[in-house]
Amino acid sequence: MSKPKVASDWLCGCAGCHMSLLDIDERILQVVELVDLRATPITDLKEPDEDGVTVGILEGGINNTYNEEVAKKMRERCKILVALGDCAVFGGVPAMRNFFGAEAALQRAYVEAESNDENVKIPSSPELAEMTRVRAVHEVVPVDLFIPGCPPDADVIFYALVELAQGRIPEIKNENLHWH
Amino acid sequence: MIKLTIDGNEIEVQEGTTVLEAAEAAGLYVPTLCHHPQLTPYGGCRLCMVEVEGARTLQPSCTLPATNGMVVKTNTQKVLDARKFVLNLIFSERNHFCMYCQVSDGDCELQNRAYDEGMTHWDLQPNWQPFEVDASHPFMVLDNNRCILCRRCVRACGELVGNYTLGFEERGADSMLVADYNVPLGESSCISCGTCVQICPTGAIIDRQSAYQGKETEVDHHIGVCVECSVGCQRDVLTRDNRLIRIEGVWEAPLNHGLLCDKGRFLPLEDDRPRLLTPLVRKDGSLKAAIWDDAISAIAEGLGKGEGLAAIASTRLPIEDLALFKSVFADSLKAELVTTLEEGKATASLAKMAEKHGQSFESNLETLKDTDVVLSLELDLVDDHQVAGFFVKRQLTDGTKLIVADGKGNKLAEKASLKLDLEAGNEGSFLLKLHEAIESETGDEGFVKAAKILKAAVKPVIVYGQDFAANADDKAVETLVEISESLNASLVGVKGNANSMAASQLGLESPIKANGYKSAFIMLGDEEPSQKLVKQLEDVPFVVALSAYGSQLTGNADVVLPVTMWAEQSGTYLNMDGRLQKAVQALEVPEGVLTSRETLLKISEALSIEPETDWKTSITLRTPTVEIKEA
Repeated sequence: MSKPKVASDWLCGCAGCHMSLLDIDERILQVVELVDLRATPITDLKEPDEDGVTVGILEGGINNTYNEEVAKKMRERCKILVALGDCAVFGGVPAMRNFFGAEAALQRAYVEAESNDENVKIPSSPELAEMTRVRAVHEVVPVDLFIPGCPPDADVIFYALVELAQGRIPEIKNENLHWH
Repeated sequence: MIKLTIDGNEIEVQEGTTVLEAAEAAGLYVPTLCHHPQLTPYGGCRLCMVEVEGARTLQPSCTLPATNGMVVKTNTQKVLDARKFVLNLIFSERNHFCMYCQVSDGDCELQNRAYDEGMTHWDLQPNWQPFEVDASHPFMVLDNNRCILCRRCVRACGELVGNYTLGFEERGADSMLVADYNVPLGESSCISCGTCVQICPTGAIIDRQSAYQGKETEVDHHIGVCVECSVGCQRDVLTRDNRLIRIEGVWEAPLNHGLLCDKGRFLPLEDDRPRLLTPLVRKDGSLKAAIWDDAISAIAEGLGKGEGLAAIASTRLPIEDLALFKSVFADSLKAELVTTLEEGKATASLAKMAEKHGQSFESNLETLKDTDVVLSLELDLVDDHQVAGFFVKRQLTDGTKLIVADGKGNKLAEKASLKLDLEAGNEGSFLLKLHEAIESETGDEGFVKAAKILKAAVKPVIVYGQDFAANADDKAVETLVEISESLNASLVGVKGNANSMAASQLGLESPIKANGYKSAFIMLGDEEPSQKLVKQLEDVPFVVALSAYGSQLTGNADVVLPVTMWAEQSGTYLNMDGRLQKAVQALEVPEGVLTSRETLLKISEALSIEPETDWKTSITLRTPTVEIKEA
């Protein structure tokens, strides 16, 4: 039997969950023995295989049309979709802007911020994705496994990967369950 | 007795027990959020739903009375699904994003309940409506965004404290926690007791002093008696890495049941007086840093044989320290004056009465918690001994009548059914008139009214304060006891500081006269000396001060020894109703500082005195005003 394929991507997050994934340190060798690590933000391959992967992992919430596209593509190409970290699970820190709206957030960041000079403007280009409300991944596509945490502990990520690699759905509970 | 079955266990409980209480008594776990053991069941959050055989729907166990033959199930799939659904609804209502909340990861009951149910995500996302945060209060932040509408704070403010500041405006999802008629909390009738902070299950009311300073998993607990007044509340001092984080009331404490006032909870953490960390000895007119041995020798030399010596101690110190102080200065050195900073004002007249009759005549504080008429004499329980005030205030809406007799501004009087004018110095004649009105229903209208109310009472309590004790003569106290006997009323004397009664039992209650002493030994501990005392000591040639903090008094002293403050020492306290309770050390003693007790022993050694250390006997040599018991 060939090894299960795993792909991952990050959306509206801070890359912290992928850093926590790297925090499993030398145990990554055990993971690589069990799985075929495909497209991830930290490998060269940038898109999940067209013929599909077993496990797709998404970090970050969905805050624009581009994130939507990535999430949908990952959902189409994977059997088990994992929402990794508080942003993917709940919307997370970026979701704070939902209380004020995207316009107010842009205004604050690009116009009002103390470090800006007078010639500032909010970027606009047809090539830029359209901003939306920040959503949890499961508001856009169905999610099979939620691993909350900001970020989830390296130990929790390792446990989940090892279980998934062996064809089991890990139970995230007790000491492994933290939202932060 | 009622017999019911919960999860297959046969349980027998008293009539009036709720299903939740019955389940808990049987060691079964039912999750709750709006429920709190100190509050009347409310049934607001619906987390404690259980399945009852024969009932059409799930029932909230916190408000459901147990009945005979009832069959209850607490963990069926239906119940578990309902719990998760309830939690999902609560999370969806407002901003419950844990990653930016003060109480996340251990201190939040909502999050803990979600963890218990194994919730990895929310099925329903929030509706993203922000509400204004009220940060107008010096000690608390009120954040409706985090509120789950359980109304624990509102119920605690009314039911436990009797202050009725917090309430809700609007209905349903628009419900807003507000102070008074929606004014900023900092400008409201809030008395800063902090019960709402302690009882809030989420981050909706947070404590500014301890916010982000340490979570439950990171702090150490030190449970002991509060030393801010003579009520004797049990409190928990939370520390982290030898730093004070927060003070909380102990819910299980039989006296205060979790309540504290601002003096016990918030103000001790606001202390910014300059700390003394090294002994000081006056040389060539100015105070210079010295080593302990030199400072002790300077004291031994300066005090000499104790002629014309005044020794004064703080009643905030433990009994062990006060008893040792008495042994050294009264028994061994035979000082001219051995007393406390309180000078017995809050106790002497009453202690004399108990001693004269060889009998205690005061009751314990429990009587104040369950009474139908309270007569308060020269005492403002809104400002002083506040927790005892809560006991009274919270009963006023249930028909308990309050009669306030005072001659000066008294905030408790605003809540009184009857106010009587009691000029300081007229206690004797006031009580005689009241006694006459009780006996013969004649006299001034106010006295007759008061007598009527008091005579109609089943469990009347007469409570009196420091001013009354200071002003009343023997005759007045005698009349007070006669009144209590004819009414079958309980007497409660609130006394002064934490160890006011212990000082009285040790006989440390003489008045201080201005100057006229050859030397003075002032054991302040962490008490701030009054301006009056500074003046009284101005012309005393040799003054020793034991103090944790620098003050005008230590500045004028000839030898200053740095001692511990309340959090750095342990010891015993005798509260206003005779309970012996322990105060517990919470912080390490700073380098170069000693406790007042250790300092006294060093001085004894230098003076070749062998002091008595058996304080338990010393405090029982006089008949106490109220029976002394180990709490």
